[in-house]
Amino acid sequence: MSYLNKAAMRSKTGFWPNNRGTILGVAAFAVVIAIIPFTASSSMMNIAVFSMIFALPAIGLSLLMGLAGQVSLGQAAFFAIGAYTHAILLQKFEMPGPVAAVGGVAAAMLAALLIGLPMLRLRGHYLALATLGLGFIVMIAVREWEFTGRTTGIYGYGRPEVFGIPIDNNGLFFWFVAPFVLIGLVLALNLTRSRAGRALSAVNDSELAAESLGVNTYALRVKVFTLSAGFAGLGGVFYAYQVQIVSPQVAEFHVSVELLLMVVLGGLGSVWGAVAGAFIVELLSEGLRDLIPAIIPGATGEVQLIGYGLVLILVIILLPGGLYQVVKSAWAAITRRRADASAKRSPVIAAADDDGSGEVPTRAFGGLPSETTAGDGLDEVADAAASDARIPTVSTPVAAGEPILEVSGLTKRYGGVVAVDDVTLTVPAGQIMGLIGPNGAGKTTCFNMITGAIAPTSGTVRFLGEEIQGRKPHVGAEAGLTRTFQNLQVFSSTDVVGNVYMGRYRKGRAGILRGMFGLQGREQYAHEEIARDILDSMRLGDVAGLAAGDLPFGRQRMMEVCRALAAEPALLLLDEPMAGLSGSERELLAQLLRSLRDAGLTIVLVEHDVAQVMALADSVAVLDDGVLIAHGDPESVRNDPAVIVAYLGTDAEEAEAELKELEDQS
Amino acid sequence: MIDFLQLTVAGLSQGSVYALLAVGLIATYTVRHVVNIAQGDYATLAGLGSISLVTAGLPLPVAILIALISVTLASVLIERLVIARVKNLTTLVSIILTLGVSTLLQAIMLLIWGAEAKRLPAFPGSDLTLGGVSIRSQELWMLGALVVVGGGVLLFYEKTRWGKALRASAEQPVAARIVGISPAVASVIAFAIAGFVGATAGVVSSPIYLSIWSGGLLLGLKGFVAAVLGGLVSFRAAIVGALLLGIIESYVAGYVASGWKDAVAFFILIIVLIIRPAGLVLRPNAVRV
Repeated sequence: MSYLNKAAMRSKTGFWPNNRGTILGVAAFAVVIAIIPFTASSSMMNIAVFSMIFALPAIGLSLLMGLAGQVSLGQAAFFAIGAYTHAILLQKFEMPGPVAAVGGVAAAMLAALLIGLPMLRLRGHYLALATLGLGFIVMIAVREWEFTGRTTGIYGYGRPEVFGIPIDNNGLFFWFVAPFVLIGLVLALNLTRSRAGRALSAVNDSELAAESLGVNTYALRVKVFTLSAGFAGLGGVFYAYQVQIVSPQVAEFHVSVELLLMVVLGGLGSVWGAVAGAFIVELLSEGLRDLIPAIIPGATGEVQLIGYGLVLILVIILLPGGLYQVVKSAWAAITRRRADASAKRSPVIAAADDDGSGEVPTRAFGGLPSETTAGDGLDEVADAAASDARIPTVSTPVAAGEPILEVSGLTKRYGGVVAVDDVTLTVPAGQIMGLIGPNGAGKTTCFNMITGAIAPTSGTVRFLGEEIQGRKPHVGAEAGLTRTFQNLQVFSSTDVVGNVYMGRYRKGRAGILRGMFGLQGREQYAHEEIARDILDSMRLGDVAGLAAGDLPFGRQRMMEVCRALAAEPALLLLDEPMAGLSGSERELLAQLLRSLRDAGLTIVLVEHDVAQVMALADSVAVLDDGVLIAHGDPESVRNDPAVIVAYLGTDAEEAEAELKELEDQS
Repeated sequence: MIDFLQLTVAGLSQGSVYALLAVGLIATYTVRHVVNIAQGDYATLAGLGSISLVTAGLPLPVAILIALISVTLASVLIERLVIARVKNLTTLVSIILTLGVSTLLQAIMLLIWGAEAKRLPAFPGSDLTLGGVSIRSQELWMLGALVVVGGGVLLFYEKTRWGKALRASAEQPVAARIVGISPAVASVIAFAIAGFVGATAGVVSSPIYLSIWSGGLLLGLKGFVAAVLGGLVSFRAAIVGALLLGIIESYVAGYVASGWKDAVAFFILIIVLIIRPAGLVLRPNAVRV
């Protein structure tokens, strides 16, 4: 029942989560901000100001952790760089405030760029380590350097003025910093939903699949890291204004811990969570500073650390999703109850909703299309696929019959094992080529080398005349080479339509900046529409709103094909697309592939189902033990004795009989 | 020249502390893929604990023994109460988690022992002078601790059946089970070793380098830099890296400015990560990070 409700509730706003909720949330937050200075006590006001200041680096860190899947243990370093640069530009160079502020943010971003460029090339946790190191270097550098005032720091610069009004008390300062936090919040929220943000979430689910759809992971991560440092730098600018003296303690490690705690507590990757975390941690810090000395007489110094440590540990153990997760599941419980109640009251309307979506009202979740539908509807289904005008457009950059992919001398060695040995192969445009071979013959390794998932030991891969071997998968993908995976690579953090939408990545243009300013709605809706059309044509429209990971295996595979097709590739590589599909799904897919081929698409498929390949492919290549032993039209390959021996065993006659039998079945 | 040698000796003794901490870090990383930021705090905890015991009137060896055992148990406790509680503990989460443990330990030490640095009495022995270079007996104790304890852990992991099974348990839990070690037991043993090694570093260094509540973080991170030099898997490369790090720090303190000493490790860290992320390991193929 709840799944049906979900499906019924899906709508455009479901794809761009809570647009209305966001606007309401931001408006409510703005109202709170406007009121706070009138109501809060002076000590609370002080906490509120620092919460707002630290919310900025926390937002940045949350973007880095949520989108880039990386953590910075030296966020305080960028905060400090912003603060010091701002203070120095004001005090030593007597620059106007806004210029100095821009300088502070730019300096932080530059530092991040320099660290990020080498570190983000490496996979794993290297960025965390490098930022940790940077944190200490910055702290020691400002302490030892005459220019930064050593342990005293930089002081003696003026307070900010806005329209001639000096910002000289906490209330005014709160209003001074608040618009920046609000704008930063909105920009960050926009970014998480933008083309770039969705691409980065996809990378966190499966880097390989995202790259194969044209996502340049490295470039996006460097940009997000730099942006995150920019937020920290801006926080530093306000910090410098507020405290009026920037000393080395701003760069101390426990500031980084504090920022990390804000993000972890708020919920990894949640921008709202980071802001909430900033307020809670500042309150906690202030509270503990009062509380601990009261309990333990004589306690001085950084006593609030005990709370930081405890909360950090407890959140990770008990509440890995942070406050965001708590609020989200509470909200889900409320809406579910409300939906159940309304469904009880008016079952007719709920049913009408289902019909209105135009899909067969099946058990939307939990099974393949029901047997009855598939049984008497096979032809109908095939017809639908063949005559469906909504099949994605196919771009054919080369004339039919011209080579689109040329593989030459392709070899992969693992130590002493040769997985693929000197394979040379040309794929002409506008054909379906089958690549077959026994288990472990090197088919998938070949695919991986062609698409850039792994680098060949030697040999070249030319796609549309350009050498792409050893480049990352997004290079080929941008040029129009897309693939599916034998081991499914589903973006599990989004729904089915979100997955297929990712296929549209290479067709989109909007970058991080446009994403942040929300100037890509039209583009996104157009792509979403296309994604839905493709799903409909493959009879997955009824599950478009479900979490991709919840689909049964066969439908996930179909979804991957949809995702690849959404990219409008010139060359489509399918790795065992038929495995796990039901009979009707196979038929539907085969029909689709034929009509795509007729429309000009070139397809290479690795398949175990020999009969299926022989029936479908225009030419067949056979790999055995990494060596290409045959290549030609299905008829000649079928009769090739070498193939029969290699593929079906040592006894040629028996093998032939088996092959016959297989084909008779088809 | 005498200066140079004197700085080298100081660097070697300081490096031996980093080496012990690096050994502890690798001991847990190879088994559990956990980067334990709290490793250095074991050292300060043992240092401060033994100081209190000596102040209470216990003889030095007894105080040290009790401190070593308690910190070893504390490390096991941390494993059981914190590390083992997290499902799907990725290395990244482990860094954040143990950062929390480290912060908590430091805060507790601050509350118990206060903010001032404290010193354990020197171990017995007499200082010697070799060709004008004076070597304190405590420095020999530190190097000796590295040889005995660090070397012992290295031999245990590389030569004994149990040690090999322990290393294997991260990659092949099934194979390790066949030898009779469950992943949980392997993890406990690894943390016990890490606790003991860290505590050893803390007590031998306290008479010269003092113990202060916040000192563990920097110590641990330097041990970590050394461990990265060992590609996070090689004890030998990490020990060599740690000794080199100690020596370079000592030269920087002697010839440049003592204030910059602590930055050296992190410059090295960043340079190594950029140039050769596999560290000093000769066959980087073996490294899977």
